[in-house]
Amino acid sequence: MKKLIVLLLALALALPLAACGPSQDTTAVVRYGLSNAWDTLMPYNSPSGSNYTRIVCDKIYDRLAYVHADGSLDPRGAVSWESGDSGMSVVFHLDENAAFHDGTPVTAAHWADTIALMTNPDCPALGRSVFNVLAGTDESGAAIPGEALGAEAVDAYTLRLTFKTPTTPEDFLLDRNREFYVLPTHLLEDTDPAEVMDLALWEAPIGSGPCKFVEELPGSQLTLQANPDYQLGRPGFDLLVITVMDKSNLLPSLMAGDLDYYAFGGNLSAESAQTAREGGIEVLEGTVPNSFYELMLNNETIPSSALRRAIDLALDKQALCLHTAQGLGEPTATDLTPGTTYTSSLTWSRDVAEAEALLAEGGYDGRTYTLACTSNRSGLAALMQQQLGEAGINVTIATVDSATLFSGMAEGQYDMAIASHTPGALPLWFTESRFSAGNNIFHVSDLTPYATLISQIKAAADIGTRQALVDELQALLASERPFIPLWFGRTLHAQSPTVDNIDYPSSSFSNENVWDWTLRAD
Amino acid sequence: MGRYIRRRLITAVPVFFGITLLVFLMVNLAPGSITDLMGEGSAAGADKAALEAALGLDRPLPLRYAGWLGDLLRGDLGESYFYDRPVSRLIAQRVGPSLLLTGSGVALAVAIALPLGVLAAWKPRSPWDRLASALSLISYGVPGFFLCLAGIDLFSVTLGWLPTHGMYTFGTFTSLTDLLRHLVLPAGVVCISSLGELVKQTRAACLEALGQDYIVTARAKGLTEGGVMVRHAFRGSLVPVLTTILSHIPHILGGSVVVEQIFGWPGMGSLLFSGISQRDYPVVMGVTVVIALAVLLTNLLLDLVYGLADPRVRYGKG
Amino acid sequence: METHAYLPRSPWARFRTDRRAMLCLSVLCLELVLVFLLPPLLGLEPNVSDMAAGFWAPPSRTHWLGTDDVGRDLLARLLCGGQVSLLIGLSAAAISAAIGVPLGLLAGYRRGAWEFWLMRLADVVQSFPSIVLVLCLVVLTGPSAGNIVLVLGLLGWTGIARLVYGNTLTVRDQEYIVAVRALGASRSLILRRNVLPNVISPVWCSIPLRAGRAILSESSLSFLGVGIRTPQASWGSLIQAAADLTVLTARPWAWLPPALCIILTVFCLAGIGDGLRDALDTRSRRLPI
Repeated sequence: MKKLIVLLLALALALPLAACGPSQDTTAVVRYGLSNAWDTLMPYNSPSGSNYTRIVCDKIYDRLAYVHADGSLDPRGAVSWESGDSGMSVVFHLDENAAFHDGTPVTAAHWADTIALMTNPDCPALGRSVFNVLAGTDESGAAIPGEALGAEAVDAYTLRLTFKTPTTPEDFLLDRNREFYVLPTHLLEDTDPAEVMDLALWEAPIGSGPCKFVEELPGSQLTLQANPDYQLGRPGFDLLVITVMDKSNLLPSLMAGDLDYYAFGGNLSAESAQTAREGGIEVLEGTVPNSFYELMLNNETIPSSALRRAIDLALDKQALCLHTAQGLGEPTATDLTPGTTYTSSLTWSRDVAEAEALLAEGGYDGRTYTLACTSNRSGLAALMQQQLGEAGINVTIATVDSATLFSGMAEGQYDMAIASHTPGALPLWFTESRFSAGNNIFHVSDLTPYATLISQIKAAADIGTRQALVDELQALLASERPFIPLWFGRTLHAQSPTVDNIDYPSSSFSNENVWDWTLRAD
Repeated sequence: MGRYIRRRLITAVPVFFGITLLVFLMVNLAPGSITDLMGEGSAAGADKAALEAALGLDRPLPLRYAGWLGDLLRGDLGESYFYDRPVSRLIAQRVGPSLLLTGSGVALAVAIALPLGVLAAWKPRSPWDRLASALSLISYGVPGFFLCLAGIDLFSVTLGWLPTHGMYTFGTFTSLTDLLRHLVLPAGVVCISSLGELVKQTRAACLEALGQDYIVTARAKGLTEGGVMVRHAFRGSLVPVLTTILSHIPHILGGSVVVEQIFGWPGMGSLLFSGISQRDYPVVMGVTVVIALAVLLTNLLLDLVYGLADPRVRYGKG
Repeated sequence: METHAYLPRSPWARFRTDRRAMLCLSVLCLELVLVFLLPPLLGLEPNVSDMAAGFWAPPSRTHWLGTDDVGRDLLARLLCGGQVSLLIGLSAAAISAAIGVPLGLLAGYRRGAWEFWLMRLADVVQSFPSIVLVLCLVVLTGPSAGNIVLVLGLLGWTGIARLVYGNTLTVRDQEYIVAVRALGASRSLILRRNVLPNVISPVWCSIPLRAGRAILSESSLSFLGVGIRTPQASWGSLIQAAADLTVLTARPWAWLPPALCIILTVFCLAGIGDGLRDALDTRSRRLPI
């Protein structure tokens, strides 16, 4: 009754306003929701290096290729590419119709100059490590003075990238495409490399991507305009308005018609799918895995491999996966993405008795381990705590934000942590960056066996040798269990009721085919 | 008079330093930093050290405080780590929307609370009194985020009357109606959250005023009940009610974190929350210190005005 | 108001005649008893998943309020969450009072430097919107029930200290205090025996309100992802499930009970506060000498 009165009051207020809708002008606007903010619009100056920044820069700047969710590639800045120098380099043939938003054509020199500028040690570029695969750079991606940089313009529209180790174009693009952008270097010629990041240009950036910059309210809103001259076609809208809002409001906004789409790919839990369908939203099921869940372990505080294997066997990955992915996932014994070229014969099944035996073998002293998770995974952590408890392993849960989680893991504050990642198609997508001296996130005491196998896999000439080495690496991981692979999950996508031709799944590679998007006429 | 002003100004100095010190220590003694956010912990060591040096995080704490305070006095709040631009500019962009949202919410609450509180005090146990306690109950008892989500579900998803987020439909100002439609839901939630206290205070102040001698005198003089209420009781209760309204100033300046966060309203509250979760120290420090200093300044001005208007205030105040 | 002509002797006797306040007090006591006694009596386990019942099971004979996203019994979580919420609310208010009362007394009675610095400290804390400081501090110290209680309690002292301070100022120069002082009583004795009883009543009224507000603050923190530690529950963290549109629209049994519990508790606390105010109303009785 009393609630009713309040409702009536609110209604009385709302009615006169609701009567007059927004003025319908003729501009076609796509309203795009994002749950976290991008940081800067200068892709190589992003302190967070997050996917939110990448997905926004993807609109303003151009990349070499478009990566599909299944790992296949489409032309974008480059029309075609081929391997050269017996696998040591890749030659890209650039699209001759590509142009910056100020009208200047994009040439191979722009690409080469961008890479030269960003690898210049004097330039304070933050995302520089992306270039460390190129010849002439050190581990951090900075150019080594006196060595030839592995990026050169062969002619106006031909770019050659040279690598430190043999790399196929596909491997390179799958791994790095989302961080290779071309900058308007013709506007940077007179700037000292040390001051490039301070330019006012990055607050109203000029790129060569499918959308032009219009206006930004940092951390909250970004207005972009369709680039009519984009080489792959003009996007089928006039304005793209990107708004940051709480994730709990994304689906309601889509259902209420106040959003046309939300990143990434209108992700939806199976839980919400029914609600979305009832609200008139069509739901698309993803076909390729787009999330990989792992339990990170601290190998220093859990030093015995028997203990780590016991944790692996004590967890009920099936139940965990059911809880989070609601049937849209498969428990896994390895970090190799299902459906890709490289496979593993390893299997996993829960065995609490075996786990208890391993605990005795590993000399578990009944201590309590700290499991870190972010607040949205607290249910998952609570399940794990119970499952580990069944085997006699004591766990306490620390709910922290993701920054604290990763820094705590790096500093050895936590014993375990739940993390998820966008899986890659390469066999080393997960392991390569996590078993290096610079980023020994699992605190493995001796990295040599991993490092040796990883470099052998990278150097392997043919698929057969590579597969054999991959098997060897997976066997090593299974016996040492430095981290615990949990499951690969697929997702559901809430389809836009107003925009057609969206390639939902590919947004997990931080690219969206906005040039194909068309507003539904109604 | 000059002595009073001087004394009041002198008391503001330690408060100023207290505020800055509290903000600085709170943020700088915290675990975790921006460098940990680099690519989900996969940042190369070199990147991390370079980043720390570039941000000046390698200097000792007292030096950083002195530097920050000096900059603050010059009006420089530093550069946001995350957005890589001056914090003062970020705040300047957010002040307006915050004031609009919380200001209109609180104004609406005042407009409802004053008459309702007076009516409730005038006729205890009447339907008006019941309505007043019902409103206070909802205001005190229902968490703000729940009001937001329930409001979105009812008015936007189910009824389709009001927009779910942002300030404008197309990203920029098109018409006043458009802005007002976006304002209704978030301002409504802000209104309900501050309503309870205002109604309660007004009612209590009116009841107290009704018991005073001058009301009894006014009644004895034969004034009508309505006249007594409006001319005397309401006027007598204005001071405590004004004090309550003024105590909402920090709230108005700080915006409403939860409401702004859910509705994607580009105000100080959402800036602060993103600053906290992104470990963007300059933003957190800038927003909190600006809010606190604005409160300090407002209180100072109000005290001076009180002091000018009422000689009694000048004595007996610490 | 009109009853003042026939005032019973003690405040407690007056409180007892206030039917609304007594009802509120009994409901709150009943809540406390239920929340602490029912889980052991019914053998309820708040942190154990019933995989047979499954995730998000609707209410049934085995699970009267259904299960949550992890298959845990929601009735058990509601009761254990009640323990946490009530403890957070009451202990935060108690900490605020435990700090605020002595500091307010000191500032008001000793004046001078004490008054100046304590009131400046209160100015500093009160210059911040409370949610801002609470949010920052809880994130920075690490979210847990203990830290939330500490932060809410430690930041809440200013309001109480000001109440006590203001009243002490008026009391300290009253004739009876001057008389006791002239008789050579020690300062701590005067503060405890003569000043405190005369300035404490507004504190009693404000404690229930503060407790209610602390319960709500905790629920806001839960929503912002910095609430109590999993797998612990609180009413605030249970309502948070409603942030999901599906839960909000299709599973009212998950969020309605904790929401009603919070409203009922805050209502009762407010009722008790009102009752205390009326019972302790200093203007209606003489200051004891």
